[in-house]
Amino acid sequence: MSKSSNNRYNGDDIWKNNTEKINSELFTLTYGSIVSQLCRDFNHNYHEVNNQLDKMGYNIGLRLIEEFLAKTGVGRCSTFKETVEVISKLGFKIFLNITPQIENWSSDNKSCSLILPDPNPLTEFVELPNLKDAEILKELWYSQILCGVLRGALQMVQLDVDVNFVKDTLRGDDKTEIRLKLNKFLKDEVPAGED
Amino acid sequence: MSSYYFTIIGTRDNPLYEVEFSSFKPSSSSSSSAISSSSAGSNQPHIPGKSQFTPKVREILPFIANSSLDIIEDSQWSTNQFNLGRIDSFYGLLVNAFITQGNIKFILCYDNPSNASSSQKYDENLIRQFFIDVNDLYVKCLLNPFYSVNDAIISSDFDLKVKLLARKYL
Amino acid sequence: MSNNDNDIILASATSLSTLTINDISKDGFGYNPSVGPQSNNITQETSNYLLSKRTTSITSPNSIYDKSIINKKTNEISLSSLSFLFCEIVNWCHKSSKGIQDLETRLNGLGYTVGQKYIELIKLREGFKTNKREIKIIEMLQFIHGIFWKSIFGKTANELEQSQDVSNEYMIIDNSPLMSKFISIPKEYGELNCSAFIAGIIEGALDSSGFFANVTAHSMAIPGFPLRTVFLIKFDESLSIRESLRR
Repeated sequence: MSKSSNNRYNGDDIWKNNTEKINSELFTLTYGSIVSQLCRDFNHNYHEVNNQLDKMGYNIGLRLIEEFLAKTGVGRCSTFKETVEVISKLGFKIFLNITPQIENWSSDNKSCSLILPDPNPLTEFVELPNLKDAEILKELWYSQILCGVLRGALQMVQLDVDVNFVKDTLRGDDKTEIRLKLNKFLKDEVPAGED
Repeated sequence: MSSYYFTIIGTRDNPLYEVEFSSFKPSSSSSSSAISSSSAGSNQPHIPGKSQFTPKVREILPFIANSSLDIIEDSQWSTNQFNLGRIDSFYGLLVNAFITQGNIKFILCYDNPSNASSSQKYDENLIRQFFIDVNDLYVKCLLNPFYSVNDAIISSDFDLKVKLLARKYL
Repeated sequence: MSNNDNDIILASATSLSTLTINDISKDGFGYNPSVGPQSNNITQETSNYLLSKRTTSITSPNSIYDKSIINKKTNEISLSSLSFLFCEIVNWCHKSSKGIQDLETRLNGLGYTVGQKYIELIKLREGFKTNKREIKIIEMLQFIHGIFWKSIFGKTANELEQSQDVSNEYMIIDNSPLMSKFISIPKEYGELNCSAFIAGIIEGALDSSGFFANVTAHSMAIPGFPLRTVFLIKFDESLSIRESLRR
């Protein structure tokens, strides 16, 4: 890596100078329209909605990694810790203009959490219907697409990682937390898209 | 002290939200007698903000709001204002209305203010301000992907915020 | 009232869990349409809460109703993110549709809800300066072509024209519409025009403002602008009658 170690993982320059930007509200409303459409399409089976969002994210991840590598010039990371740092400071920064906090590393350094800022560009105008016994509050992970994106993109760099939400402020939790767990390094092979 | 009935009406003349309240303002000396007379006959303690409409009036409020829709629809395409001001009065109840770009109607029915004419202009301004801020709340509600145009507004926080605006302005 | 509109519960996300007469709010706030204004009457408890010095939102400390949507500096995001998302939306809609026409209808429908919401937001933001509702066809179109377009896509549309043949037809022309820019449409989609989504946004904005219209997107490349798109707006006949009455 030729860049100085200080700003190796600083996405600000790329964000400022090398990213075509749009008003985030169009993105927020567009994402909202597909989530509520999926809720209707799956007749409010929120597990299936989560699954579908995850699949869509996965397909995005498979393709997004190419643009990511081209823009950042990041090489192979030597540790999973380094990988997660790149995800937060470069990945999230140049695609969503946010930088999640990294917390809660497991002792074997294979699991950690990303804490998303509140609100984030997906959840900006969202309030889950706060009804008595509302399934939606317990079952829907509104931003699940992000897990799919991470899973897909990491798979393209030979990392098999489980990615799940464990907390979401939309459900009334104190923070929005994505848990990552590294399973194994993959051999070179191109994964197929998911339908 | 005035009592108020506020309703939001959708594009198919369907009510999306309703609330009754009374002025939260500490009652002035002139209106204190009005309170005691209105709560006379009941041993209920006075609850600030609770509407004082008689059951009879309460029953007809939605109909008054509904009948004023014709007046609103009449001015809908002739004035380009959001705030339509006072549009009607009915058995001592006054009706003010506001209409959003998306043709959602806000209607406020209220009984005659205690100290009538001198404060009327002031009241009109406060009502206008109330409508403008409710419009802001309505758009926040609308932007939620789980809310569609013409759905009833059942959010607790929306209800809370409308009542806080009532307390602030009316 | 004889129309069935009142009986039909639209298939929105919340409607399937509508409240019944027995649902009593647990926090004392919230309107229940099955009960009416009695459902959210002010009680001693809620009155105290409203009068307390520090009244906070009920659902979360960061409720959507606490955030300003008027003065807020709008955030930016990478255009690629929207592009990636939109591709997946097209894929999903494609899977559940019967053909290209149907797919465009679905994209149009998604855009429609976005347009319904966006128009109120943009008018709210603009309203306090100009304090003007759009009630005339031409002014409404100028608003869509100008401020509305700029708020959403970062620039105004290129042209606004009236059809020479049909009086109630207008065209808004964008030389390089946002959505088409990054979307390379797979061959099996043939003539698909992803701007159907944008057409839906326009239609949603017009319809909810009472300018009932049908909006379709048509690719009309010219030299230098291969993605140039014409949004054809056909207004309902009743509108010209409405306008002629008020002239």
